[in-house]
Amino acid sequence: MEQLIGELKEHLIEELNLEEITPEDIDSEAPLFRDGLGLDSIDALEIILILEKYYGIKLSNSAEAKPIFYSVKTLAEYIMKNRK
Amino acid sequence: MVGKTEVNIYIGTTSIYTCLGNKFETLAAMNRGRGGLSFNKQFSMFTGSLEVEMMETYTRFESLMIDQLIEVLSRTNIKLSDPSVQLIISTTKGNVELLEEDVDHPSERTFLYTSAELVAARFSASNPPIVISNACISGVSSFVVARELLLSGRFNHAVVVGCDVLSEFITSGFASFKSISEKPCRPYDAQRDGLSLGEACGAVVLTTDISRAVSPYIRLAGGAITNDANHISAPSRTGDGLFYAIRSAMAEAGLSADDIGFVNSHGTATRYNDEMESKALALSGLNTKPLNSLKGHIGHTLGASGVVETVLAIEQLRQGYIVGTYGFKESDLPHPIAISSGKQKITKACCVKTASGFGGCNAAIVLEGSDSAKLTTENHNILPQKVNVVAKYTLPQSDKAFADYIRVEFKQLGESNLKFYKMSDMSKALYIAVERLLAIEGFSEIEPTRRAIILANRSASIDSDIAHQQIVSQRLPEGPSPAVFVYTLANVSAGEMCIRHKIQGDNTFFIENRDSGLAEDYARLLIARDRADAVICGWCEYLKGEWNVDLKLLKKIYD
Repeated sequence: MEQLIGELKEHLIEELNLEEITPEDIDSEAPLFRDGLGLDSIDALEIILILEKYYGIKLSNSAEAKPIFYSVKTLAEYIMKNRK
Repeated sequence: MVGKTEVNIYIGTTSIYTCLGNKFETLAAMNRGRGGLSFNKQFSMFTGSLEVEMMETYTRFESLMIDQLIEVLSRTNIKLSDPSVQLIISTTKGNVELLEEDVDHPSERTFLYTSAELVAARFSASNPPIVISNACISGVSSFVVARELLLSGRFNHAVVVGCDVLSEFITSGFASFKSISEKPCRPYDAQRDGLSLGEACGAVVLTTDISRAVSPYIRLAGGAITNDANHISAPSRTGDGLFYAIRSAMAEAGLSADDIGFVNSHGTATRYNDEMESKALALSGLNTKPLNSLKGHIGHTLGASGVVETVLAIEQLRQGYIVGTYGFKESDLPHPIAISSGKQKITKACCVKTASGFGGCNAAIVLEGSDSAKLTTENHNILPQKVNVVAKYTLPQSDKAFADYIRVEFKQLGESNLKFYKMSDMSKALYIAVERLLAIEGFSEIEPTRRAIILANRSASIDSDIAHQQIVSQRLPEGPSPAVFVYTLANVSAGEMCIRHKIQGDNTFFIENRDSGLAEDYARLLIARDRADAVICGWCEYLKGEWNVDLKLLKKIYD
């Protein structure tokens, strides 16, 4: 799990162009959207791409995405359960 | 610079070509409640696609425009070779499909202006064409620009042509936004799940000479462009931006909600667009007016939509009844609006046409029919406003690579806006230039709806187009990146500035082959006609590591 969280942070920084941010800056349990990293709806779509590209998970329902995308930790938990 | 008083702008000849056919075929199908979307195997989605009779040496996009121009020009004595006639072209992506052939070396023809000049030359146009690329409001924007130019007295007639064709570039980009409907789109319906794309072309002659107008007379009575200054792709949650555009267009026309017979909205059928529109219409007092969206019949035809749907609005005003909203059954909108589900008689001879698009832009125009009691001569330009250039800034050139150069520039600003690094390179260049420009003289004293940004460039967004096409060509299983695709519209860079500096007034993006001063000229017109108090204007070019950003801040002089 810890390894997955670290890897996920790397992917988020790379794919969402979070320059100036290091994995250590991202609190695994803090909300990803609005405050903190200031992610928005385009970033949410990019996270859907990350799930598919690195973990083979297809997620198309945005209503379903909300609780999953809450924090790095909730994302990692979802990946653990659903990765292929 | 002083506009004439007592000028009216009338609709002359019009023509369209949609997936339902020519103007009368399209209208007849709509009157009968028929739609034209069908499953497109190439793009794996429902689209409104066209059969195009290609013209020798011209592309599909250009052939469509030439065809529609021949249609409108053959039925009027107005000629593009006359210096008092201006050609205005509305498109989002022009010949972008040519990028598929050699993505690293875009051919001349992928530049919108090259294509525009070829079309203008076909008709021996006297004036260089004006090209407007303002995302999905391009068509409605073109009418607003045409109106301003005609009111200024520089031209007596304008010919507006709007066109976009579909390619994998566009369809895969919208798919990456998860905004494509599984079935033919259903505007305003509770079951709506996204938009359907279409291709179309339309042309309209506008004239200040009533003897050239087509009877029954319809006047282009008002128009306005605004920006949400909220997000580059997500519709506003309040509907304020669209409301301001409608309010301003109706004020120009001197009409109130009581005078309006119907609203032809944008109505894309995405969840958030339709919700936003219902809020804006409620704010405008137009929520009880019959309303329709034509996207269910012909799809979202991008840069053509504003032109094609305006032509159909004109025909609906003339026939005295409006068509339904194909695909609409039951609404779940937060603010109830009077969505027309079938043919419906209208009692007032005026119509509001709206559009909203990426970059946060909104546009509205008002069409006024001849049996309207209020059809009178316009009296505008009570007092011409004086204009001052209060700041100028040119982004310096550098020996460093753009990425390194711009990073240093951004660091020097001493702020931590995480959004900066997500922007396209053109947006980054513009961001720095605007910060420096406004550091010379700010505009915090100017009310947001009185701030405007008018830009022009040559390449539109080809730098971002190349990046998107490279991803599309790789055919990745997860599809292209929405964060790249969103910048394949030049005006999105202007939209970033609207968010950053709370610019809620006019935001128009022109495409030219060199800086002719058009952006500044238009900015001056906006101030002279008291449509803005401060305008950032100028040239904003970025392509393959080379940039040229040259801006001015204009302000109204208070006597």
